Amino acid sequence: MNKLRKQYLPFVRAGVQNLITYRMNFLGFIIGGLIYCFVMYYLWKSVFMASGGDTFMNFTMSDMVLYLFLSNVAGEITFSSVSNDIAEEIKDGSIAMRLIKPVNMDLSYLATELGGTAMRTVTFAFPVIIGLEIYRYVTLGIVMFNPINLLLFLLSIVLAYLVAFRVNLCFGFMAFYVKNLWGMGILKNSIINFLSGSLIPLAFMPDGLRTVLEYMPFASMSYTPVMIYMGKYDTSEIIFRLGIQAVWAIIIYGISKLIWVGAIRKLSVQGG
Amino acid sequence: MISVNNLRKEFKKVIKDPGLKGAIKALFRPRHEIIAAVDGISFEVDKGEVLGFIGPNGAGKSTVIKMLTGILTPTSGSCTINGKNPTVDRKKYVKEIGVVFGQRTQLWWDLPLVETYTVLKEIYEIEEDRFRERMAFLNDVLELEDFIRSPVRTLSLGQRMRADIAASMLHSPKVLFLDEPTIGLDVVVKDNIRRAITKINKEEQTTVILTTHDISDIELLCDRIVMIDHGKNVYDGSLRELKRNYGQMRELTFEADSASRLTAESFCKGLKLSDDDISIKNDKNVFTIRFNSDSMPVGDMLNYTLSLTRVKDIAVKDADIEEIIRRLYKEGADKSE
Repeated sequence: MNKLRKQYLPFVRAGVQNLITYRMNFLGFIIGGLIYCFVMYYLWKSVFMASGGDTFMNFTMSDMVLYLFLSNVAGEITFSSVSNDIAEEIKDGSIAMRLIKPVNMDLSYLATELGGTAMRTVTFAFPVIIGLEIYRYVTLGIVMFNPINLLLFLLSIVLAYLVAFRVNLCFGFMAFYVKNLWGMGILKNSIINFLSGSLIPLAFMPDGLRTVLEYMPFASMSYTPVMIYMGKYDTSEIIFRLGIQAVWAIIIYGISKLIWVGAIRKLSVQGG
Repeated sequence: MISVNNLRKEFKKVIKDPGLKGAIKALFRPRHEIIAAVDGISFEVDKGEVLGFIGPNGAGKSTVIKMLTGILTPTSGSCTINGKNPTVDRKKYVKEIGVVFGQRTQLWWDLPLVETYTVLKEIYEIEEDRFRERMAFLNDVLELEDFIRSPVRTLSLGQRMRADIAASMLHSPKVLFLDEPTIGLDVVVKDNIRRAITKINKEEQTTVILTTHDISDIELLCDRIVMIDHGKNVYDGSLRELKRNYGQMRELTFEADSASRLTAESFCKGLKLSDDDISIKNDKNVFTIRFNSDSMPVGDMLNYTLSLTRVKDIAVKDADIEEIIRRLYKEGADKSE
């Protein structure tokens, strides 16, 4: 374990260094996310007003605010640029320099990302969660904060991150075949946004579709931790959902390993 | 130590007709062409040998090096290094080799140089004492001291290359792959790097495979050369042998007093040499004659030239490696016809 830490810590440091070098990027990312949340807030507010009732499909407006911002928090934490990184390294050939080192490919990418993930969690996720609790206290007049839910949320978000990272890794490996991932990336993001419920809560979908989507890996990437934090699941359901997340994390891990074996044969490093 | 057997690598290439029309056509109906960048290369390298792996640009040298270092998977054929297949268990294999690609860097771009070495120390699991000893040795040969605390991105090309070479040697690899390690460097740095290579080869019996376009690299470092072109073996043997067989071309350059009585044709006629053995170019009064010193000894050539005209400046040069390659390849092409 100590050996692992020593070997991959440099990659974490390089990731943080990168973030600091391109800090405007980081800032833009966070501010953009917040603006998006507020746009969605006003959109849903008008939906609630038009529907005339206090609740809409079992969600109160304060639920909705919580959902919107938490989805964004989950999105920030599980964000992974690994597919872009791989595509970039394949395009400029620098993946060769990664391959000549006696390190594990996935772990070195994971370590490079962890620094940024930690930064986003501390500078964005936690403040937003605190802000949400203050909002809930002000609008509802009672303290709704539940530390157990927060802990379960953290556990669930770690699993969500593992699933999201592996999905992006698999997607990144496609760059071994198609050379330019940009267009496919946009397609991937729209699909994930819709199917993971970060655009529209899965709870709003027709029953049949919702059940299917809840079992798919996309729900594990954002919907499950958010619902857990909101207290929408009872104990048995929480255990069940965490189980599903864990199963997906393992399955996608396996898939990524399989794709890697095929992809490395396809690699062609041009020039130099 | 290293055994390469009928190695072959194919790439798929999209064929595009020129212009917008061609681009649109390729979008809807892409046509592919299989290109063999490496087409059946074989050679052996003994332990402790320094092999010069040469060939013109685009010959497939880098592709071979990339297969030997486990970056690319061969389409067919095999290579065994130190009893290991590079594509099987890559992590274990790369621990025993050192690689430098002259056009890229393995240094951590934004960190001070010394940090890269401490990172490599962890990655390769080098013991503290061994690491210190090694750094002292590399410092001594490659003179890293002046810039070891500067961020890598601020280093000059010469400094960066020395640092890269040091990085590849840090973990005492059994085999060192150097792909154009002296590209774009000045004489002093080249000398520095050559000394490091010689030293590590002599002291640790490190096997070295070196690609280069610099004839002095080959002359000073290599016991043997393997030459390839169009992905095929062209020559395998010692440098001396190669020079004896192919290196007889000399280049005579001089500036004539007056060009009036001197034409290229007059030379050809007067010397009675075939076209293969002599070629003449002139730019006003400056003549460049390339000739085969087997059929026309250098002394005779000089005498003949001086008998024709008064010259201001005269120089005789050895054939460079490019010339040897050109002749060698021409011969190969003739044979296959």
